[in-house]
Amino acid sequence: MNRNLRIALIVAAAIAILAPIGLVIWQSFLDGPFFARNIHLSLNAFRFVFNDPAFYKALGNSALISTGMTLIAVPIGALLALLLVRTDLPGVRWLEPLMLAPMFISSIVLAFGFVVAFGPVGFVSLWVKDLIGFIPWNLYSKTSLILLAGLTHVPHVYIYASTALRSLGSDVEDAARATGAGPFRTALTVSLPMIMPSLLYAAVLVFFLGFELFGLPLILADPQGVQVLATYLYGLTNVLGVPSYQLMAVVVIVIIAIALPLVFLQRRLLQNANRYISVKGKASQSRPLRIGAWKWPAFVFIALWLLITVVAPVGALLMRAFVSSWGEGVDIGQVLTLNNFRELSEYPNVIRGIINTLLLAVVGGAAAVGVYTLLNFATHRWPTKWSAALDYLVLLPRAMPGIIAGLAIFWVFLFFPPLQPFRQTLLAMWFAYMLVWMAYGMRLVSASLLQIAPELEEAGRVVGASAGRVSRELTLPLIRAGLIGSWLLLFVTFVREYSTGVYLLSPGTEVIGSLLVSLWATGGVDLVVTLSVLNIAMVCSGLLLLAAFGKKKNG
Amino acid sequence: MQRRTFLTLCAVGGTAASGGLLWNALRDDPLADRPVRPPSPASVASVPAGYSRSYAQIIEAAKQEGVLSIYSATDAREVAALLADFRSLYPGISVEYADLNSTEIYSRFIAEVAAREGTADFLWSSAMDLQIKLVNDGYAQAYASPEKPALPDSAVWKNEAYGTTAEPIVFAYNKRLMPAGDVPHSHAELTALLQRKPDFYRDKITSYNPEKSGVGFLYITQDAQVTGDTWDFVRALGPTAPKLYTSTGAMMERVVSGESLLAFNMIGSYALERSSKDPSVGVILPNDYTLVMSRIALIPADARHPNAAKLFLDFLLSKRGQEHLRARHMRSIRSDVAAPEGVDEIPQDTREIRVGPALLANLDQETRLRFLRRWRDTLGAKGAA
Repeated sequence: MNRNLRIALIVAAAIAILAPIGLVIWQSFLDGPFFARNIHLSLNAFRFVFNDPAFYKALGNSALISTGMTLIAVPIGALLALLLVRTDLPGVRWLEPLMLAPMFISSIVLAFGFVVAFGPVGFVSLWVKDLIGFIPWNLYSKTSLILLAGLTHVPHVYIYASTALRSLGSDVEDAARATGAGPFRTALTVSLPMIMPSLLYAAVLVFFLGFELFGLPLILADPQGVQVLATYLYGLTNVLGVPSYQLMAVVVIVIIAIALPLVFLQRRLLQNANRYISVKGKASQSRPLRIGAWKWPAFVFIALWLLITVVAPVGALLMRAFVSSWGEGVDIGQVLTLNNFRELSEYPNVIRGIINTLLLAVVGGAAAVGVYTLLNFATHRWPTKWSAALDYLVLLPRAMPGIIAGLAIFWVFLFFPPLQPFRQTLLAMWFAYMLVWMAYGMRLVSASLLQIAPELEEAGRVVGASAGRVSRELTLPLIRAGLIGSWLLLFVTFVREYSTGVYLLSPGTEVIGSLLVSLWATGGVDLVVTLSVLNIAMVCSGLLLLAAFGKKKNG
Repeated sequence: MQRRTFLTLCAVGGTAASGGLLWNALRDDPLADRPVRPPSPASVASVPAGYSRSYAQIIEAAKQEGVLSIYSATDAREVAALLADFRSLYPGISVEYADLNSTEIYSRFIAEVAAREGTADFLWSSAMDLQIKLVNDGYAQAYASPEKPALPDSAVWKNEAYGTTAEPIVFAYNKRLMPAGDVPHSHAELTALLQRKPDFYRDKITSYNPEKSGVGFLYITQDAQVTGDTWDFVRALGPTAPKLYTSTGAMMERVVSGESLLAFNMIGSYALERSSKDPSVGVILPNDYTLVMSRIALIPADARHPNAAKLFLDFLLSKRGQEHLRARHMRSIRSDVAAPEGVDEIPQDTREIRVGPALLANLDQETRLRFLRRWRDTLGAKGAA
């Protein structure tokens, strides 16, 4: 890629990101909606938020939860990745799709799954109560919230760590084993350090995700009056009666202010990234580590995590979809029904929503990977201010909770004439999704790119290939596994995304997420759950078909 | 090997599940875009009985427009039959129904009007105060519906805002788990119950969070206007550490499961709908007074298809339209339509929230913040979190 093309791509990305963010920042300095008549510049919004004790409480809670969940998610995620990808642990390879399940499910629905399983009258709670006479946990405590937030973000770490581990040749591990190191020493001193960049990315990202955590705290903490930044922001919609965009904008700016130093930190930590290059000119077959009798505790560990984070809530949701009632004093045998599915099928536009969702996830997901890859190539091995700027930029859209990002992007499509014709199409929806999930996607692709040794590309240039040709025919094929992994992740993410599209939907562009949101508001939790179960089935079949297909192709 | 078998099984299962739903929907979906059986020429576009003959002009103009776009806070599922009937009456008009929450309707509408990019032809929302604000800010157009004589005065403001339902605000409780002797039949009884058994009802009472939910704020302020005893109630509520939600669905679900025993200030139609499906949900219309809310409809001044919107408003307010709402447990604004199933008797003392400018006081920032402060202080008075 030549310099001009790189700069053009970065500028294009900057415009796409900064347009909605800029609107939000502009909005924060006004005393009414930016498009209204008779509005003035004002700092009142900042005054209101910074004088509100509830804001500081929410900020404190967010900091606590972010820290706690990072400390839980990163070690567990790294360990699980190591066990599943690099060891000879038997019979767990098929568990991998299950591992990712918490990412398949929109966080509100997953949180509700925890309520149905572990709540005061949840299935698991009642069973434990029968057994020992009391329920030893309180789902609605802050400790539970931190624990569950940590456990449900394990897959985020796992995905980054396992992608990195997969592309790691086992020659370095073999060398360690040959010189007498045991499997644990090898893992701790060789494998883990080699994937440090991926783990650090993941850690910083998870920490940051803690600040925009919405679904879990909304369901588990908000009813008791415990707020975090995102639920506080959500409450600002109503506190003055009419939606107060300027107040929400101030909170978004606070979250951005938290994000920027994190990116700075991340860059500092990774300044020496080429220490971690692992795909070099000489590749060798990757061999699993033998862990012997340790496989049993490892197995129990994985099973326990799966049980709490996946099996119990998803099982509870599944059951909820097939009953008319539940809770204390309900005999499940008496209330089994298929009514929920029948009612769902009567819901207008459900089929169109499913088709649109699939379209957006499969085609849109691939297109998004394309965009992210292009942007990554634009900064790949190009250590300039431009690249640095892009690093900061991509995290910005994430600073807005989905619903706010959706609103800002809706404004851009509404008030920017060249985009107006696209406002009511799936393209607008795709654009919003692509932007909101840019931080994830960019990191996924770059994690693979970082591992490609420069000498491979240099060799390509030496034999006379153009820069573009090297990218196309050398780098791209080398990171193919990483790209397919990213596509999978984005497919999953787009299928379960719910709040971003709310403002952008129009007749004909409904998606499952928007149906979930409207059902959630007006009473149909049974239908929300049923639709989610269907959503999970869709993601599951998509993933598995793809996995089966990929395996055949490689084998 | 094992893995592949598992993969295949899952894939087949998932596909079968989606396939089954698809099949079911294609078979049953009342709104599928296929033509409803051709209506008889007599019923097509004829002026409804009792309307003036000039109404034919509106029908003709609406047919020219050909489209009707609705933003609504009422679930698409709840109005499927209503819309199907409207389509069969006026087959030339294609109806686009966007089902949004009330804040989204407001945000989306004012932005679209400001951008002059076209917006909905019909807004229909349960956020009464936001709808009245739109009328007050000049966003609506006046239209004297021929159905107006059948409506109570409190349901129409300036011919611009029309109340379309008269839904009681109720208590919903768990019949399975709440002691029968405890079930309160009035606001006063509920206060007394909470004062008597605060420990038993700890964590077991639920309602809208007035700080986060617009309708929750509306109902509790209306309560406070009806009687000063409301503050005694809030004081009694404090020690029970109530769970306060923004989503009706989440709240009803807690009552169903027994995690909460009683929800107050629920919208009647949702509670009745649920109790018709699940016998463990009981619904009480308080007999000291019952608040009655209304979903307000308005036709925007910027509507691109105003005639189609007028037809829809008239249809919605007509006896025929109201029967469809009644079937989904939304009580009619008309006196000539019976109460929905599950409502045996309408209490004597109903307090209709008037469709009018009084609702604007709700949106005054100072008043609002002062009320919320008092709510918080009173709730926390006895050491509740």
